[in-house]
Amino acid sequence: MNGWTGQILRVNLTAKTFKKESFSEEFARKWVGGRGFAAKILFDELKPGIDPLGPDNKFIVALGPIAGIPAPNTGKAVVAGKSPMTGGYGDGNLGTRVAEQLRKAGYDALIVEGKAERPTMLYIEDDKVEFLPADAVWGQGTYATNDWIYAKYGKGVGVLNIGQGGENMVRYAVVRSLEGRAGGRTGIGAVMGSKLLKAVVVKGTKPIAQADPEGMKKVGHDDLRQVHQLDKQTGWSIQSTNGVLAWCNEVAALPVRNFRKTHHPDAWKVDGERLNNARIATYGCPNCTMRCGITIHDDEGRESELDYENIGLLGPNLEIFDLPQVASLNYLCDEYGIDTMSAGCVLSFYADAIDHGAVAGDYKFGDSEASKKLLGLIARREGEIGDLLAEGSLRAARKFGHGSEAYAMQVKGLDVAAYNCKFIPGMALAFGVSPIGAHHKESWVITFELKQTSRESYGPEKAKKVIELQRIRGGLFEYMVSCRFPWIELGWGLENYPKYFKLATGLDWTLDDFWTVSDRIYALMKLFWLREYPQTDRKLDYPPAVWFDPTNADTDGPIAGKHLEYDKYDGLLQHYYDIRGYDKRGIPTKATLERLGLAEEAKAAERFGSLT
Amino acid sequence: MKVTVKLIGPFVQAFGFSEKDLECPAGTTADGLVALVNIDKARPKIVTRNGRAVSPDEALADGDRLVISPIYSGG
Repeated sequence: MNGWTGQILRVNLTAKTFKKESFSEEFARKWVGGRGFAAKILFDELKPGIDPLGPDNKFIVALGPIAGIPAPNTGKAVVAGKSPMTGGYGDGNLGTRVAEQLRKAGYDALIVEGKAERPTMLYIEDDKVEFLPADAVWGQGTYATNDWIYAKYGKGVGVLNIGQGGENMVRYAVVRSLEGRAGGRTGIGAVMGSKLLKAVVVKGTKPIAQADPEGMKKVGHDDLRQVHQLDKQTGWSIQSTNGVLAWCNEVAALPVRNFRKTHHPDAWKVDGERLNNARIATYGCPNCTMRCGITIHDDEGRESELDYENIGLLGPNLEIFDLPQVASLNYLCDEYGIDTMSAGCVLSFYADAIDHGAVAGDYKFGDSEASKKLLGLIARREGEIGDLLAEGSLRAARKFGHGSEAYAMQVKGLDVAAYNCKFIPGMALAFGVSPIGAHHKESWVITFELKQTSRESYGPEKAKKVIELQRIRGGLFEYMVSCRFPWIELGWGLENYPKYFKLATGLDWTLDDFWTVSDRIYALMKLFWLREYPQTDRKLDYPPAVWFDPTNADTDGPIAGKHLEYDKYDGLLQHYYDIRGYDKRGIPTKATLERLGLAEEAKAAERFGSLT
Repeated sequence: MKVTVKLIGPFVQAFGFSEKDLECPAGTTADGLVALVNIDKARPKIVTRNGRAVSPDEALADGDRLVISPIYSGG
């Protein structure tokens, strides 16, 4: 089977055993890899209702047929499990040498089950698997852990590790890799921590089987050069992702003060120009020629790698407009291994809750020193407030009461990424129907809404666009597995991906073939949610209530007086369901499941929830 | 009339300024202003006027703020 190794490595931490399992070509074609493999494995193997932080959950690392091959931006892996944040399907992707090393070791996926007796590092080298003590770095941050691993094995190995956040099962703990990459903001780092799994280290020495290795090598290297040229021509990486901050501020889409405001006169102080001016280094993933990470010194002289999401949510969203201070908060999140985005939302929620009298406290917007201390308390689950905020904004809001749930900025329990959709209906839908909770990686439609339709519209064109982008961003790039940036930011043609796929697997697929796989995976993720929440309804696909609140509308700027409207949003949601073939609860119908080849999965889901 | 032009992202380096006030004749359109600041017409972009998307032939008014940005895709 070209393109895939055809093997999954299954490790049990409780029994300290491992075995190689083969998968069929039919499985490979149906699910392709990455998110497809992860969703199928978790759906088949997890009993509904299990504790995401218990030994019954599984930690998955999944790769795809072009992962790790020298072609544009293929140095990425998907990490997945039942989400401690949402209780639903959870995953994330991150740049890591594991993409190449695990494939060279002979595996397309790793399944970790059970719970170790003591802090453990899993060392995988081809057919060998070792369960090594990790007591020496338990309690240490991700940078120290990474250094410890590099000192043992050198820098060429693939590493996934967690910090104190994962160890203490902060529900938004992430998996970290390399010196600055993170993934799995749905709490996959906490899943590792719950298993006392501090790190996974992978070294592989075998060739990755491809249909046309010489062709792949030539095309891959040529295309890497071309992507690099495109980046040079457009200048995208000068400000990288943070170029969008100034634009969001201009069009009233920036999260400010827990998303209460959409723009701020001091936003320029943390924009892409300032970030580029402060740059001391640039950082990228393996097989990347448009490196997105900009490293600067924080206010304590440490190196911190920033992008838009963490600046937006740890900066303006907390009313902190000092770039080194924001960098410091980002550094701490990275060191503790907690998601910068959720951390920003949790802190802003806490300040907002105090501001509105829902809870007593002296934490305020704009206080970076207090924010640093809180991040430490959260990572260590120290004290009542550290322990509570480690649960995420929704759980904290339920504890605080006094109506504070309305300003926990989350969907399905996952905090919103750095786009304020107070009056951006299509993007609010994108957050609402994201299958893992509010994440921008699935679909991002703001420029489409402003340029190619109207901001005010709740029409089907927006639902259609959200689906189109889900198929590409949340589908293709998540199961191949590859970074979406060459396509979304530089216009690198989508037609290149069937080309890479063919060189790797020998299969001649059209883009429509890929969209069917995307739709199948999205439908399966929905079935996972149905099994966990059998009484689910469409309200699960609603964005935060505060965006609908007329009293929260901007008082100045381009969207003064505007807010989302429930009946219109519900209509937009219905357009989405109609196009997808989902019922009024947002669950795929039997006919849709049949069409997507999910009859077997439908039967399994029906034992726990009804289908129409 | 006077309008303020703000460039976003790599356009700052590409076209040599971040933000400036410009004197331009009454009736200048959005497209006319883009030409006035020498932004490559073929370059994909989104132009907003006072925070709202503007059509190329829309006439500008004194005191307007025009923002010219590459088409971001949300990371």
